[in-house]
Amino acid sequence: MKFSVIKAYFIKEYIELYRSKVIFILYIMPIMIMILFGYGIKLEVTHAKTIIIDNDNSIFSQKIIEKFLHSKYFNTKVLQISENEALKSIKRAKTDILIIIPSSFEKNILHNQKSEIGVFIDGSFPIRAITMESYVKGVLLDAAMKTATMFGKKMDGLITINQRALFNQAMRDENAIVPGLFGLILLVAPAILSALLIVKEKENGTIFNFYSSPVKKDEFIIGKLSTAFLLYSSAIFLLFLIATYIFSVPFRGSFIIFWFVSEIYVLISISIGLLISIITNRQIVALVVTVIITIIPGFLYSGMLMPISSMKSESYIEAHIFPVMYYNHIVYDTFLIGQGFSSFKNIEYLVILIFYALTILTISYTLLKKEMR
Amino acid sequence: MLEVKNVTVRYKNSIGIKNASFIADKKEIVGFIGADGAGKSSLIHAIAGVIHFEGEIIYDGFSYHSPKEAEKIKQNIGLMPQGLGLVLYHNLTVKEHLDFFTSLRGLKNDTKLKEYKRKLLHMAGLLEFTDRLAGNLSGGMMQKLSLICTLLHRPKLLILDEPTTGVDPLSRLELWDILENIKHEEESTILMSTGYIQEASRCDKLLLFDNNSIIADGKVDELLTSAKDYTYEETKCSDECFSFNGYTYSLKPLNAKHKKPTLESLYFINTLKRAKSIPNIEISDRENIIDIPNIVMEAKGVTKKFGKFIANDHIDMVLKRGEILGLLGANGAGKTTFIKMLLGLLPLDEGELYLLGKQIKSGKDRQNLKNKIGYVSQHFALYEDMSVRENLIYFANLHKIPLRETQKKIDRLSTQLGFKNYLDSLAKELPLGIKQRFSVAVAILHEPVVLFLDEPTSGVDVVARAQFWKLLRLLKEKWQISILITTHYMSEAEFCDRVVLLKRGKKIVDDSVKNLSKLNPDAKNFEDIFLKYYRKF
Repeated sequence: MKFSVIKAYFIKEYIELYRSKVIFILYIMPIMIMILFGYGIKLEVTHAKTIIIDNDNSIFSQKIIEKFLHSKYFNTKVLQISENEALKSIKRAKTDILIIIPSSFEKNILHNQKSEIGVFIDGSFPIRAITMESYVKGVLLDAAMKTATMFGKKMDGLITINQRALFNQAMRDENAIVPGLFGLILLVAPAILSALLIVKEKENGTIFNFYSSPVKKDEFIIGKLSTAFLLYSSAIFLLFLIATYIFSVPFRGSFIIFWFVSEIYVLISISIGLLISIITNRQIVALVVTVIITIIPGFLYSGMLMPISSMKSESYIEAHIFPVMYYNHIVYDTFLIGQGFSSFKNIEYLVILIFYALTILTISYTLLKKEMR
Repeated sequence: MLEVKNVTVRYKNSIGIKNASFIADKKEIVGFIGADGAGKSSLIHAIAGVIHFEGEIIYDGFSYHSPKEAEKIKQNIGLMPQGLGLVLYHNLTVKEHLDFFTSLRGLKNDTKLKEYKRKLLHMAGLLEFTDRLAGNLSGGMMQKLSLICTLLHRPKLLILDEPTTGVDPLSRLELWDILENIKHEEESTILMSTGYIQEASRCDKLLLFDNNSIIADGKVDELLTSAKDYTYEETKCSDECFSFNGYTYSLKPLNAKHKKPTLESLYFINTLKRAKSIPNIEISDRENIIDIPNIVMEAKGVTKKFGKFIANDHIDMVLKRGEILGLLGANGAGKTTFIKMLLGLLPLDEGELYLLGKQIKSGKDRQNLKNKIGYVSQHFALYEDMSVRENLIYFANLHKIPLRETQKKIDRLSTQLGFKNYLDSLAKELPLGIKQRFSVAVAILHEPVVLFLDEPTSGVDVVARAQFWKLLRLLKEKWQISILITTHYMSEAEFCDRVVLLKRGKKIVDDSVKNLSKLNPDAKNFEDIFLKYYRKF
């Protein structure tokens, strides 16, 4: 292996990237994804349109209603309408939540009798519905407990609620989304670049310089991949700064672990790009294929929208096929928890990632041929 | 020494070259002559070790059977693949290219190499342009840069795939000078393919390609001698013979005077031997007689700029009734740009353009004349996944020709132009020569009065090209049609009535073919004549 050949390719790629101005796009794209998605995805629900029908009109029910009225999560109206009318309003999407407090609600509670509060939630967006449901439950139980204590009733043991969201006490969307974006961005962008760097030569014909010269396969691969690798290694730092400064995501773990695992992940991504460049001959095809096989899993199985542990059968298996799940687990850990290598799972996942990178690199090295097809 | 034994290259659905064998020596330039798709590139790729092949190649005592085995001798090989500036990176300067190739070849950048680089740059005339981006070089300069990049490691086996195609005549001469120089100084074996038969005379040895095999090899004189017995002065004949451009080729002895054959003759004779006959092109009279003005097309000071680049610089041109006007020039000289403006596909930056007495300013103006214009674009804009018949019906529909009439026309044209057997083949499956005549059929379905042809002959084999020119002559004579044809083959000028030669967007020659011959009595052919003008301007 000759270092001079690798260096020649490396320098040539940077000159080309710089002169064609593509290098700016390469930096702007990840930043754009982070900023757009970071601000754009909102899982939190605020100002849910809520109607409360109070059939009890007691102090107890007033206290509960007050809780809703003072919450930023609900836009509450207390109306004296029939249940049917209120349900119609949900159908017309005028209302998200309908809460019906039954008559003699207070009386039942005070006599230690069971009482049911009716809650209807617009379920057309399931994730949003689940979120709203949990809010309503939390507020109701909280209000019930406090009010009961006020009345001198002890309710401990009977009701336990834990509203505290673990690892994200502030319940900030940014904390949940932004670390997950690393897995998406660093899977998509380096793969695109490394695929295009090689397919471009195939499309233009300059690949003949490689085919017809004594340049070795490893020299060519390293020369090409180191270009993409170095570029996105610097992007890791850039993205980290955006996450911690612009989005103010806390960072509780070890930066060394985060940095190391990100470099491994970038290596996986550029190896995927290399693999794609071997089977495609046109830049546009390479681009489309790369985008499809990186963006979709990078988004779905990132753990941003849904924790992998709560996925079932097929999706659970699919999630384990793509590298993003393992990487994001460690990234979420370094950002929000900070267990580092004291958690066995983090070590296990890091080993899987390294294994992943080596496998894809070996496969593409074997498949790359110094001949036309 | 290079020895090629029974080399066959196969692609997924086709064969590149069948059982090719030949021997090449040190200090020898071997020319690969033949049309596109005849198998030249396939053989070149096999020898350069960049494609899988069957058979054996022995270079300097080292035998290889696959690209993998060829890896060991790649330091001795220099390959320049087909395509203008194909191996160049457009965003790298001339100097950066030399540096890149120096490292790529693992050469030590010592004073000796620096001296050699200087010499190469000097030979290529690129010494003053070392800081220019490759993308901003002219076609000829790109090819010269590609060549010196390939020569940097002093390859003993230099393989060049159509290095001169599309390059202006002056640069072509310079390329040849570099090659001869290298041949003597480095004692290299040089293999080069070319579409220009005239270049063959500068080769030490020739391989003639046709139909995916080598049909003949030997020195130029030997090859010509072998054709002597079949070549006659143009005469009437009926069986196993073909006449074109003052020659008659016949397998049976004819009662006529023999004529000195050219290399083209070899192709006619080979085709006759293989197929027994070459179908003659016919054309019947026009169905609708119309009045055609004396001047069909007139351009006055037509100018087109792309940014700083001037593609057409104040071009004046006139196309008369029943005239074949050849628009000649190298790649990038502005031929296609001019035709695009004629068709209203590109707006004019300056000047005026009249077609059939009407001024053309935009595509709309041309729309009104659509029924009088026939156009064959570069690479033939046909629907590749439709059969020939379907294509013809489709284009007839565009011109609102009734279906019954279309059927009759298809029947007649396909017989006369000799593609009847291909009527139900898909357009993409056609041989280039058939595709070319079929494209013309599409363009003349509606019996236009003027025909624009953009590089219809490039890459087409000698026989198909002869048939094509016959067809154009017939169209002119029987239909009084005016034809504007662009080509980068300077030698095709002799088939035109008048030629206009463009050089970097400027018109440098505009004269009738007869006049040009008269003015230059000592020139051997049109290449020589145009070279003279090229040097002058």
